[in-house]
Amino acid sequence: MSIRTEKLTHIYMPGTPFAAEALNEVTFEIKKGRVALLIGPSGSGKSTLIQHLNGLLKPTSGQVYFDDQSIQSSKAELLRLRRKIGLVFQMPEEQFFSETVFDEVAFAPRNLGLTDESLAESVYNALNRVGLNAEEFKDRHPFNLSSGQKRLVAIAAVLSIKPEVLILDEPTAGLDPAGRQKLFNLLADLNSNEAITILISTHHFDEVVTLADQVMVLKDGRLVMDGPRDQVFNNREKLESLGLALPSVTELMQDIAAAGFQVKTGIYNLEEARREIGRMKERQF
Amino acid sequence: MSRSITLGQYLPGNSYVHRLNPRLKILALLLLLVLLFSLNSFAGLFSLLAMALLLLFSARIPFRYFLKGLRPILYIVIFALIIYLFFTKGGVVLLRIGSFTIESEGVREGFFVITRLITLIIFSLLVTLTTTPLSLTHGMSFFMKPLSKIGLPTDEVAMIMAIALRFIPTLMEESQRLMRAQVSRGADFETGSIFRRAQNLVPLIVPLFVSAFRRADDLALAMEARGYRLGAKRTRLHVDKVLPADLGTLIFVIILIAAAFYFKL
Repeated sequence: MSIRTEKLTHIYMPGTPFAAEALNEVTFEIKKGRVALLIGPSGSGKSTLIQHLNGLLKPTSGQVYFDDQSIQSSKAELLRLRRKIGLVFQMPEEQFFSETVFDEVAFAPRNLGLTDESLAESVYNALNRVGLNAEEFKDRHPFNLSSGQKRLVAIAAVLSIKPEVLILDEPTAGLDPAGRQKLFNLLADLNSNEAITILISTHHFDEVVTLADQVMVLKDGRLVMDGPRDQVFNNREKLESLGLALPSVTELMQDIAAAGFQVKTGIYNLEEARREIGRMKERQF
Repeated sequence: MSRSITLGQYLPGNSYVHRLNPRLKILALLLLLVLLFSLNSFAGLFSLLAMALLLLFSARIPFRYFLKGLRPILYIVIFALIIYLFFTKGGVVLLRIGSFTIESEGVREGFFVITRLITLIIFSLLVTLTTTPLSLTHGMSFFMKPLSKIGLPTDEVAMIMAIALRFIPTLMEESQRLMRAQVSRGADFETGSIFRRAQNLVPLIVPLFVSAFRRADDLALAMEARGYRLGAKRTRLHVDKVLPADLGTLIFVIILIAAAFYFKL
C-alpha cells in the first residue's frame, strides 16, 4: 500500500516553441501511513508532480502507481482513484462556489454518487473532523468565514470523501500563526489516528516539518534528495547549495552541536529545542 | 481540457517582420487587404500569395501554427467553394448531378475566392503572430487617435484593451487550475446533455468571477496608487521608432498597389 512514481517525466506543450520540461524522471515511493514533505523552490515542479498523483495530468513518459496499480486514464478508474486520493490545491478557498458551507463540503461526495442520508452524514463528519461545529457552520456562507476557517472548510470538502491519501499543496500559505497551528494539529491527528498517508508540498518550513517522516527535494524538475527527514536535513551543505535553508531552529541546534556541545540535532520546533537545551544544561553542570 | 487560442498568439522571434514598426504593420496589412480585394487576375493573386508565404517562412513561423490559424475559417472556405461551384454559371459544363451543374466559370471563381481568403488569413496571421498584443494595441490606438477629436476616450479604450489582453493568459491559467481543482473533487465537465453541462459549469464560473473581480479591484487600486488618472497625458517607455526598413516597406507596398492598378492585375 503506497504511492509510487517511476521515471515520471512531464513536458508542457511538447512540440511547440513554448515546450518546457517540468519533471524529469522523478522516481519515489511514499509508504502507507507516512507523512512526506515535498520541498523545492517555486517553479521546481512541485505542483505539476502533485497533479500527476491524482490523475489530473498525464505523464509524458513514466508511470504513477497507487497500491502497486498503475494509474490508468480510463474514466471509471480515475473516479475510483479520486475517491482514495484527496488533493487540496493551493489556496483551496478560491474554488468556493456554493452558497452554504454544507453544499461546498457536499460537492465531492455528491459527484462521487453518495445518496442524501449518507451524504449529510459524511459532510457532518468531515466538518466536525476539521474542528468546525457542523450544526453551527453548515448554513453559513463560505465567503463570510475567516481565512483560517475557509481553509478548514476547504480541507473538510476533501475529507468528506474519506480519502486514504491526502495531498496538500502549500497548505499554510496565507494563514496566520494561529491558523497554521490549527492546521498542523489537524494533520497530525489525521495521520496518527486515521493512518492517512499525507504528502505536503511547500517551499518554506514551518510546523509541518515536525510531522514529516520522509523529505523529498525537487529542483528544476529533478528529484535531487529523497530520504528520512533527519538524514536529509543533516546534509546542510547540499540543501544550501540547492538554495534551501534549514528551519532556523534546526540550523541553530546543528551549530550548537558543531561547537562541541552534546545535543540532539534532529529538532524542528522551538519547544523541542527548548527542552533539549534544558537537558544539555543539566548534563553540563 | 483546454482549447488554445492560436489566432493572435504571439510567437517571439527576430525576423524582418518581427522588427517592423507595429503601426506600419497595421497600415501595411490594411493596404495589402485593399489590394487583395481589388485584384482580378490569378497572376496577381498568386504573386501576393507567394509573397505572403515567403514572409511567413522568413518569420520562421512553424507551418503547424499556420494550419492551426486556418482552422477557424476552414468552414467558411469550404462553404464559399461549394456556393461558387454550384451557383456560378458560365463556360463549359464539367459535371452534372441531377439538375445541378458544375461549370468551369464556377470552378475558376471558387478557387479565386478561396485563394483570396487564404492569403488574407496569412497576412493577418503574419501581423498577430509577430507582434506582441501590447504593441498591437498601441499601434491600433495610434490609428484611433483622430477619434478623440469627437470626444471618444481613445487612450482609455487602448488601456482597457491592453489590460484585457494582458489578463487573457492569466484567466486562462486560472480557469485551468480551477477546472483541475473541481475535477479532483469529482466534477465532470465533459459528459451529459447541454443543459447538464451548462449547470456543471457553475463550480467553474463562480470562482472565476470572484477572482476576476478581486483582480480588477487590486489592479485599479495599484494603478491609482501609481498616479493613473483619466484623461491624463501618458508617455511610453518604449517608443516605436520609424526605421528606414519601415519606410522602405511602406514604399514597396505602395509601389505594389500602383503596379497592380497600372497592369490591371
